[in-house]
Formats: sequence, C-alpha cells, structure tokens
Amino acid sequence: MTTASDRLELSRLVHRFGFGPKPGEYVELLRAGIPQARATILARRDDHGLDALVTPAFPNMGQAPSDPTASAAYWQAVYDQSISVAMWWMDRMVLADYPFVERMTWFWHGHWATSISKVSYALPMKIQNETLRTHALGNFTDMSRAMVQDGALIFWLDGEENVSWSPNENLGREFMELFTLGVGNYSQNDVHQAALGFTGYQVDQTSGKVTFDAKDHDTRAQSVLGKRENFNARTLSDYIVSRPENAKFIARRLWFRFVSTSIPAPTSLANVFENRDIAELITTIAKNPAMRRPGVSQAKSPVEWFVSSCRALRITPSKLPSSGDVAWMLDSMGQFPFNPPSVGGWPYDEAWLTAASTQYRIDMTYYLLQHGNLDPLTKVSKSKMVEAAADWLGIPQWSTRTQRALNQSLTDPNRFAMLALCSPEYLVSA
Amino acid sequence: MTLRTCDFNRRQFLKYSGAAGAATIAASLTMEDVAQAASVAPMPVGTPILVIVTLYGGNDGLNTVVPYLDPAYLSNRPDMSLDASQVIPLSDGLALNGTMTGFASLWAANKLAIVLGVSYPQPNLSHFTSMAIWQTGSPVEEISSGWIGRYLDNLPHDPFRAIGIDSTLTPLLAGDHRVGSMLPISGLQVPTGSLATQMQLMANSSRQDTALVADAADSIGDLFQLSATVSPVLQNAPPSSASPLAQQLDVVANLISANVPTRVYSVSLSGFDTHADELGPQGTLVGQLSDAITAFLKQVGATPRANDVVVMVYSEFGRRVMANGGEGTDHGTSAPVFVAGNMVAGGFYGEQPSLTQLVDGDLAVSVDFRDVYAAMLSDVLKTDPGSVLNKWPTKLNLITGAS
Repeated sequence: MTTASDRLELSRLVHRFGFGPKPGEYVELLRAGIPQARATILARRDDHGLDALVTPAFPNMGQAPSDPTASAAYWQAVYDQSISVAMWWMDRMVLADYPFVERMTWFWHGHWATSISKVSYALPMKIQNETLRTHALGNFTDMSRAMVQDGALIFWLDGEENVSWSPNENLGREFMELFTLGVGNYSQNDVHQAALGFTGYQVDQTSGKVTFDAKDHDTRAQSVLGKRENFNARTLSDYIVSRPENAKFIARRLWFRFVSTSIPAPTSLANVFENRDIAELITTIAKNPAMRRPGVSQAKSPVEWFVSSCRALRITPSKLPSSGDVAWMLDSMGQFPFNPPSVGGWPYDEAWLTAASTQYRIDMTYYLLQHGNLDPLTKVSKSKMVEAAADWLGIPQWSTRTQRALNQSLTDPNRFAMLALCSPEYLVSA
Repeated sequence: MTLRTCDFNRRQFLKYSGAAGAATIAASLTMEDVAQAASVAPMPVGTPILVIVTLYGGNDGLNTVVPYLDPAYLSNRPDMSLDASQVIPLSDGLALNGTMTGFASLWAANKLAIVLGVSYPQPNLSHFTSMAIWQTGSPVEEISSGWIGRYLDNLPHDPFRAIGIDSTLTPLLAGDHRVGSMLPISGLQVPTGSLATQMQLMANSSRQDTALVADAADSIGDLFQLSATVSPVLQNAPPSSASPLAQQLDVVANLISANVPTRVYSVSLSGFDTHADELGPQGTLVGQLSDAITAFLKQVGATPRANDVVVMVYSEFGRRVMANGGEGTDHGTSAPVFVAGNMVAGGFYGEQPSLTQLVDGDLAVSVDFRDVYAAMLSDVLKTDPGSVLNKWPTKLNLITGAS
C-alpha cells in the first residue's frame, strides 16, 4: 500500500541521491517499498547502463605551437575538449542505472570546486574527476590526501606559485575554509603556516602531472592548529582532516546539499563520520526521518535539472546535435560542469529560481523535446496522462495549478511535456 | 561565470537551433509595444537610480588608486608596482592606474568620489565571508538577507524595483520577504499563445507550496511580467565584443532610457583574485571597469535622466601590501570604493591607509562601508538607512546637496 509519504520520500531519494528516474523506474521502486528502494538507490554495483558510454580521448595537448595556423587549431581542440569532457560526464550521469556514485562525484566536484576556466585543459580536469569518483564513497582522509596532490586543484589555487621564500596562501586558506574545516576554525597564522606546508609542488599544466621540488619546499617546522612539524601536503592534509571540526564540517556540508539548507544538521551526524567513512555518513543522512517530513525542499541546479530531463526523455547528452548549444544553454542558466564560478562552488536553492533561468529553461526544454522520447505520455490514454506524468518524472503529487495547465494540453504531448518539465514541482524536490 | 572561450551569442544560437520560429518566438516588437512598455509604470524623470557594481575576487586597491610616490609601495612590490609613467596622477600623491582614463576624465569633471580605505571592523580575509559581509551589510551579526533585499522588504512587491543583470540571483538583492529580479544580458523572450497561457497557470503559487516551490512558481510569473515591459526595450543586444561589464551596463542604460521603474541595478565584473602575475590582467580589468562606467554615464547623460544616476563600485577586500613570490598579491583588507555620477560631489573621502603602519600585517580601515551604503540609501534611494543597516547612525555626504 503506497502512501503520499512514500511517494514524497521516494521522490527525494531518486532526485537527490540520483539524477531522477528513468522511465518506469519510479513506479518500480515504489512497488518495492521504501527500505528496498533506498537500498537499491544507494547500492554500488556493476552498472550496465554505462555499457553504452563512449569515452573520448583527452590527449596531453603539450605546449601551444607558435605557428599561427597550428596555434588556432590547437586552441580550438583545447576548447572542444573542455566541452566534450563535460558532455562525457553528463553522459555518465544520464546513462547510469545506479547514478549514486555519479551524484556523489557531482557533490564532491562542487565541494573541491576547480574550474577549467583557469586550468584550461580537459586532461587534468578528467584526472581530478576520476580521483573524486574513486573516493566519492570512500574515506575522506584518502580523498583529501589525493586532492592536495591533484594537479588541477594545485594549479587552480596557485600552488605553482607557493614557494618557501614567498608563500602563496590561496591553497592553504581554501583548504581549511572550504574543503576541510569551515570558516572560523583556524587563524590567519594557521593559513600562513599551512601555506608553507604546501610549498614545493609543481604542476605540468597540460598533463596535470605533479612533481615535488624539495628546493622550493619549506624545510622548517610549521605550526598549524597547535601542532609543530615540518609538514608536507600529505601529512598536513592528514592532520587537518583528523581534527574534530572536520567531521562536523563535512557532515554539515552533505546535509546542506542533500537534505536542507534551512534545517540545521543533527549534531549527532558528526559522530557517524568519526572514521571519515563517506558511505556511512551519506547512508545515515538518506535514512534520516527528515527525508519523509513535508516541507524539506531543495531546488534542482541547472545541471541536475538537465540530467534528470535527459534521463526521462532517453537522451544521451553527447548525441544531441550540438554540444556547443548545450554548453551555451547550461552556461546561460549559470552552471556547466568543470566550470564553477569560484572555489566556493555553485549557489543553491533560491539562486536558481529566477525569471532569467526560467527563460533559458523554457528554451532548453524546447530544444530537448525535439530529440526526446515521449512514450511514457503517448502510450497511455488521455485520461491517465497527468497521473502517468507524475510517475514518469518521479513527482510525488502535482499541484492543483499544474494539473489545470496539464489538463489543457492532453491533445499535445509535446506541449504537455514542456509544461511538466518546466513545472515548479519538477524544478524543486518538494 | 561566462565560459571563457564560448562566444555563441543568443542570436546565433536561436538561428542555429531553429528555436526562433517556434515556442520561444519573441514578442512582436512594434513601436506600439515600446510605447506601451514605457507606459506600464514609467518612472518620473528626477527619480534617483543606484547602479551597484560588484568586483568579484578582491580588487587590488593599491594598483587601482596608486600611492605611486610612496617608497613603501615600490619596496613592497619590486616587480609589480606602477611607476609615474604608468599612472594618471590625481592629487595627494595618489594616481589612477594608467588604464583608467575614463575615470580620470570623471575625476577632472568633479563627478567621481573616491572613498579611501573602506572596509569594516576586523576585516575577514575569506572571499566568501567578506563578500557576504559586504552584500548583507552586516559585519557583526551573520544574517542571510542582502542590504538591497532589505530595502525591498520595506516596500510593496514590484518585480521592477531592483534588477540584477545575470541569470542567477545575487545575494545582494535577496531580502527576507522580497527578492530583486534577474535579467540576462540578452533580455527575455517568452512563449506566446496557449503555451504561454498554460505556463502562467503554473505561476500561481498557493498556500500548500513550500517556500521554494512558491519561488519556482513566482519565477515563472515574474518572467512573463518582466518580459512584457523589458523585451521591447532590449531589441538590440549589446555587441558581444564589448567587455562583460560594458554589456551589462548597456542593458541598464537601455532600461533607464525607457523609464522602466527600477531604482536599483546590480552588475558585476569577475577575475580580481590575482594571486599570481597580477600586473597586466588587473590593469586590464580596472581599465574595463573605467571604460564601461564612463561609457554608461555618457549614454545616460544623453537622456533626460542624465542627473538621476549614481554608480557605486566595491569589491570584497583589497590585497596585501607586499607582493608574493608569483608577482601577485594575497587577500587583504581595505580598498577604495568609487561613487560616480552627475549628482556626486567628486574628490577624496576618508584617508589613504599607511603602507608602513599596518594592522595585523594589512592596511588599516579608514571608512566603514556602511557610511557609504547609508549615503546611497538616504541620498539616492531616499529611504531611512537605519531601517536597512541595523540603526547605523552615520553617513558620508558625497551626494551633492546631501546633509
């Protein structure tokens, strides 16, 4: 017996811990019951959905040629790769039968927000993406240790320029503020000392390869958060991540992005993260009773909305006629993978619900509907269409206003789908 | 936010995707429409307008308003200081970065106020915390509403009152109950016909909605309402060759000329986080800033609203006095704020912080930013600053005739 609360909880699970249902999936999971559905959504298993994935080559581009013609072709290729690496990732999000790992990787991309706008090359970004995927549900200590030795991240935060005789504080500060501890849990002196601990790492920009140059590394003892030691990136990361503030900070970050930006995280959540086990933390969050309470809403970001629409419409993003168009439209909405606006990542909730983004969403829906599959609407009788659309898109319940709008479009499945995909109920995970 | 090398403009895109002919066809743009748009609720000439320019990343104040004669400036920045040939001298040993010729002409015409050493008590060196402090206008208490948002809170709902030129909401415009509207550079083009009718059915928020669902519904309604007025005004997209700020200000100038009833505009320029190799890029950015604002004031200067517009420019912090090893600068504290326009009393306000008497290794604070905000609220927006700035009692008199 399915209740309204079941529909609500399942809707949140499929949209927040995945990227929305493929056609038929929501009803199937509903039938299994919430505990089984949750287990399926949070499962990590061989994903045959990804069998269809085509991974383009991202070669090391090397230095730009000086010949003007060759140089133009080189930069065109660099640009094309920056688009295709994002399309490749969105393909993964769309094709996956078990998108939980991709969803977590997406979360971590926003957390360790690194932008190709400065890194420039797709290869280092792809390497970072694989690192985030490897550790997405692993141990945060390992993830952090890998990230402080990640070429794209180091380059992005000027680790290149950070040398013992003239430390650059960018990486040291953002590491503590945004990645591990949160603002207020360190002093300016800790930032300075941490910067010294991170000195000496050089990055080959086109390959992302990181080398350690001992002569640039500060060989004195640094004093960070009360501990005095000659740190390097690995030992510094390990020490900072071992601080109790890290457990609180990461628990709050995950709660904020998966449950609510307005309800505070339960204080007990940090205890679950004592061993820095990401899978245990996120599973605990997914089981929290708040997931079943009305009113715990979250807005979908543009990429989340786009990916869930593609899943519903059986569209593979890279097969759309022009990746450049897709990039342009997503960028207009304010979000394109590998291109966060700053190291703080993307905004959330109300920020995405503007007249301007509505405009671009309408444009993009129109574009997607030219290439999508509407079987879930066209294979049911008109009297069942509104109900079938809620099941198709994983919406707990249409509002009265949206039902009225949909009921006026029963003879035009395209227009019907346009309204459904742009509806407030689809933009916001209620 | 703009993808660096992606230079599709809207027109090309519409042509390319074939969307122009169908669902997203623009409202028909006749002279009648333009007249009608301006007649929805035209704002009387003489109503002051505030344009807020946010520089994201922390602009280096010392290479913008340059203490070029100060030996400490040269010694702290051996490879990234500007010498006398690279600056435009003003007075008191200060000069503008040589790229800022437009600002120099505004200064000469007495239309540019430079407020020196602006920040707040115990400046925070985090981009996000410091920007939040500037945008909420609240250095002490952590709050979530923007200062312009709180100005909107005190007034009836009107999607036109404050407009940001971007697609995502800037926290500056988000109040507790009201938010400003966001408008993309390319303007708004909404569906027509029965799709439009049905879309607008979905725009009616109801009491059953959560706050976010209601926001989503409102955003659809706001799109249609704004579009009806704004689309005819913005027929000609600004040239994509212009700098991002120049494009945004071109949109603002068009809206102002059409008497759209907007009291506050928000625009922005990014890229100021110059930890490395700062000299060239930062000079280019402040040059773009100066060019864009000067051109904008010239554009509105040719309209009856010439005396109505005040532009305020700020960043979340300045940068460290001493250069780092990468010929860049790390996060710092106070920096100049610019206020420009015909009703501005030009000149320096506050004091240039000493480069040798530092506070915790950084520039001292000479003026609290709330003194600038209070001037904007009181003398431009004609509202009680105390009601927006938690009873903040003082202000700078940098608007002509203010007292």
